Amino acid sequence: MNSNKFDLNDDSLVVIIGSGAGGGTLANELAQKGIRSVVLEAGKRLTLDDIENDEWKMFGKISWLDKRYVEGPARLAQDFPNLPAWIVKGLGGATVHWSGVAIRLQEHEFRMKSLNGVVPGANVLDWPITLQELEPYYFKAEQKMGVCGTEATGMPFHGQSSHYKVVAEGARRIGARCEQATLAINTEVRDGRPSCQVNGFCMQGCKIGAKWSTMYTEIPKAEATGNVEVRTQAMALRIEHDRNGRVTGVLYADKDGNHVFQKARVVAVAANSIESPRLLLNSASTLFPDGLANGSGQVGQNYMTHTTAGVYAEFEKPVHMYKSTNVPGIVHEWKDNDPSRGHLGGYELEILHLGLPFMSAFLNPGKSGWGRELAESLENYDKMAGFWICGEDMPVESNNITLHPTEKDQYGLPVPVVYKTDHINDTRMRNHAYDRATALLEAVGAKKVNCLPPYPASHNMGTNRMSAHPRDGVVNKWGQSHEVKNLFVSDGSQFPTSGTENPTLTIVALAIRQADYIAEQMQQNQI
Amino acid sequence: MKHTPQRPDLPDLNRRRFLSRSSSTLAGIGVLGSGLLSATSWAAAAVGESASATLLRMARDIYPHDTLEDKYYARVLTPLAEKASTDNALKQLLSEGVAELNERAQALYARPYLEVQTEAERVRILRAMEDGPFFQRLKNDLMMGIYNNPELWPRFGFGGSAWEKGGYIHRGYDQIDWL
Repeated sequence: MNSNKFDLNDDSLVVIIGSGAGGGTLANELAQKGIRSVVLEAGKRLTLDDIENDEWKMFGKISWLDKRYVEGPARLAQDFPNLPAWIVKGLGGATVHWSGVAIRLQEHEFRMKSLNGVVPGANVLDWPITLQELEPYYFKAEQKMGVCGTEATGMPFHGQSSHYKVVAEGARRIGARCEQATLAINTEVRDGRPSCQVNGFCMQGCKIGAKWSTMYTEIPKAEATGNVEVRTQAMALRIEHDRNGRVTGVLYADKDGNHVFQKARVVAVAANSIESPRLLLNSASTLFPDGLANGSGQVGQNYMTHTTAGVYAEFEKPVHMYKSTNVPGIVHEWKDNDPSRGHLGGYELEILHLGLPFMSAFLNPGKSGWGRELAESLENYDKMAGFWICGEDMPVESNNITLHPTEKDQYGLPVPVVYKTDHINDTRMRNHAYDRATALLEAVGAKKVNCLPPYPASHNMGTNRMSAHPRDGVVNKWGQSHEVKNLFVSDGSQFPTSGTENPTLTIVALAIRQADYIAEQMQQNQI
Repeated sequence: MKHTPQRPDLPDLNRRRFLSRSSSTLAGIGVLGSGLLSATSWAAAAVGESASATLLRMARDIYPHDTLEDKYYARVLTPLAEKASTDNALKQLLSEGVAELNERAQALYARPYLEVQTEAERVRILRAMEDGPFFQRLKNDLMMGIYNNPELWPRFGFGGSAWEKGGYIHRGYDQIDWL
């Protein structure tokens, strides 16, 4: 499966850090063009045998649980002081943990600064690309991932689950638009993967592989070309550079803790929005005293997670929400940018179920989540229906990733400190979403509606953002460092603004586009 | 509360009917001396019989499901107490925690925790202790032991692992009759 072996001194390779939506896709796209790469994945190699329909077992098996700190006045820091983000340490990265929701950003979401002007307290920036430029890559991404309900695949939607029907009826009664979700989950046998059988455990790994994950699509396809070597349990420690400021390779710790240096022609960082800036900060040198590629000071800044929360209603009769794809549908009514609502940017109400084990942990998370009210709600588990709110998150410079001044992790690296709190726009948006979600659910007969606080983020963005001008961001519109030509960022940390939509499809589209650019630049000996 | 009858091939029984069916066997807190929670079976060895009864009362106050039998709470507490017999720090956590419960109960209601009459009164004591490691240890173990217990999932109406049964695509994923 992974017999390819490249020499540590081979300086013609691309070294890709991370094997998720960005890194896994980039590796395969480059491999198909004949460009050789080494993928460094911090976690272990997973197979479908490792996937179980068991929430806590999967949490323990795949989550990134290395030491981190959450700071800030938000409740998240109290409820989950060491778990800012809910992402994966394992082959496939966050494409193992996702519900398959694949939606394109809206046209206006690429130009939030032009649209809304200066937002006090926020660091809003237009994307240096437009929807029009990204559209062909969105189409390719939808084909690659197998997104149902799209022109790109022609695959039908999943059909209306009971959970979907309850919400759709509530939406109809209040005049809100609700549609089935475009999911990167097969509804037909396609690309060597089976059709969904509705196990209901999409989120932490699809047992049958109907959901797209680089773990069993891009990575094995890339390996099969002979052009990619994946090294698992390989934790990147530092990116080295020469005296001209070009990167020369990556120092990493292998599974036995040995420090290994892999030479590279190009380095692409795709380790998610906490680890990617952390690696650049850890790669500070005399030439780059504030961190590699950090002349703008924006590495690690503008950390965004989407404006999130949960809303779960209890009905008189059973819904059985767990008998459904995780996200069977989305209420799109408030995804536009309409400041008359009292907030900028939009949000989606994504119909989402949790199993009983996770519901007991998230319905009222933290130390005070116990007692009769909670217990009675959990007795109504089978009568619940509800949402995960996913809305545009204002980029705020002080929401950031920094390095702990003294504490080190098991690799000897400074522990990341994640500061995240609401911009007032986020608070207003969440309150609007709570209100509309409650109205929708009550319209279809909810007896009680529980508004849940945000839980650890699976959508992490913004900490190495793209910008037209080097002073405003870390990378250009190709994800290429403004300062270091052979250094790329290939994950969601490139996003200047979060948009309303789940980020995976956009990360994949950007990676496909970036692979074209890297190939062209290599061919022209520009990098 | 009325419910529509479940199809026999659906795995999740109607929860309320199920709970009420089992409630006839419920002995409540009085079961303490009857073997399941006796001195030899668990906590008494580590923290004493009175303390073990106090912990069970506390467990039922943290996640109160009136029709859920004591044994499900005891199954969380038993391994904890067993561990405490060889783990001095845990033993100290439990005995000091119980002592604090009783001290607070004495201060507020002039009786030990176990004899505080109403749930609201006991909850008042627990809320004052909820940030501490003793309470959080109990709460976390109970959350896993009750809501992450596959044996109890049918009673809460949760289906659990589905892939080996072919998922729900042919088992009613789109069925709902009250809209």
